[in-house]
Amino acid sequence: MESPDFQAFRGRGKPRFANRAELECAKLLDYYGVPWDYEPTTFVLESAEDGRVTEAFTPDFYLPEQDLYLEITVMKQTLVTRKNRKLRKLRERYPEVNAKLFYRRDVERLAERLRLDLAS
Amino acid sequence: MSAGETYLTASQLLARARELGAAITRDYDGRDLVLVVPLRGSFIFGVDLSRSLSLPHEIDFVELEPYHRGRRGVRLMKDLDGDIRGRDVLIAVDVVDTGLTMHYLCKTLRLREPASLRIATLLDRPYRRLVDDLPVGYIGFTVPDELFVGYGFALEEQHRNLPDLHIRAA
Repeated sequence: MESPDFQAFRGRGKPRFANRAELECAKLLDYYGVPWDYEPTTFVLESAEDGRVTEAFTPDFYLPEQDLYLEITVMKQTLVTRKNRKLRKLRERYPEVNAKLFYRRDVERLAERLRLDLAS
Repeated sequence: MSAGETYLTASQLLARARELGAAITRDYDGRDLVLVVPLRGSFIFGVDLSRSLSLPHEIDFVELEPYHRGRRGVRLMKDLDGDIRGRDVLIAVDVVDTGLTMHYLCKTLRLREPASLRIATLLDRPYRRLVDDLPVGYIGFTVPDELFVGYGFALEEQHRNLPDLHIRAA
């Protein structure tokens, strides 16, 4: 997958996106000059008694100026239950963390709107 | 392609613009107001809002390069004609969605040191916001996640002239 030279990327190295929607989101943030990082933080959600991590969550994007984590999911709406559950757990365990889930429907709508030049 | 069902009529839109205008008139009484209208989608709302203000103000326009043109970064295709330093700036915009465009515009205008900077938006989709640090002071309608045409909103540059706001036909 292409990985352009980003201007607003605040991470190290080159981000390796998991899918097209993540890449498009990165391009969008970059276009509007919103600083972003890719998968900078892994949050532990569950750990065993011996300290071993049994469940973790690494949101796709972090926007430092907004102090906001974004998770992009390209799964169909009916299949996002697991991600919703992870996000809910993240909010329970880390109430100070500001995180949003962007669904496939949101990404598609956004792409459509941007083609139509209606996104403000 | 035709416009779909009517979501808000021209009279509802004008009535809301007048309500916002009355609130803005109260808030900006005695201040040096500049109404900034981003082209092109906001021009009808900008005009209705301007005519609803019972106080002297300047109206100016900006135009940002749309994302789909594929350049490396957003830029102003048309800049303000006037100076805003030390003045009270109110951006009259058609819709705030992700907040990315307004984020860029506010950042750009703040560099010019206005006395204050706020946003009056006709439509708002707060649940779609990617950037939340926007000075949104006035909201016309909070709307569902639909695409609209009419009242300045276009589909392939058509339908901006329709007096009512329509949900775009599928």
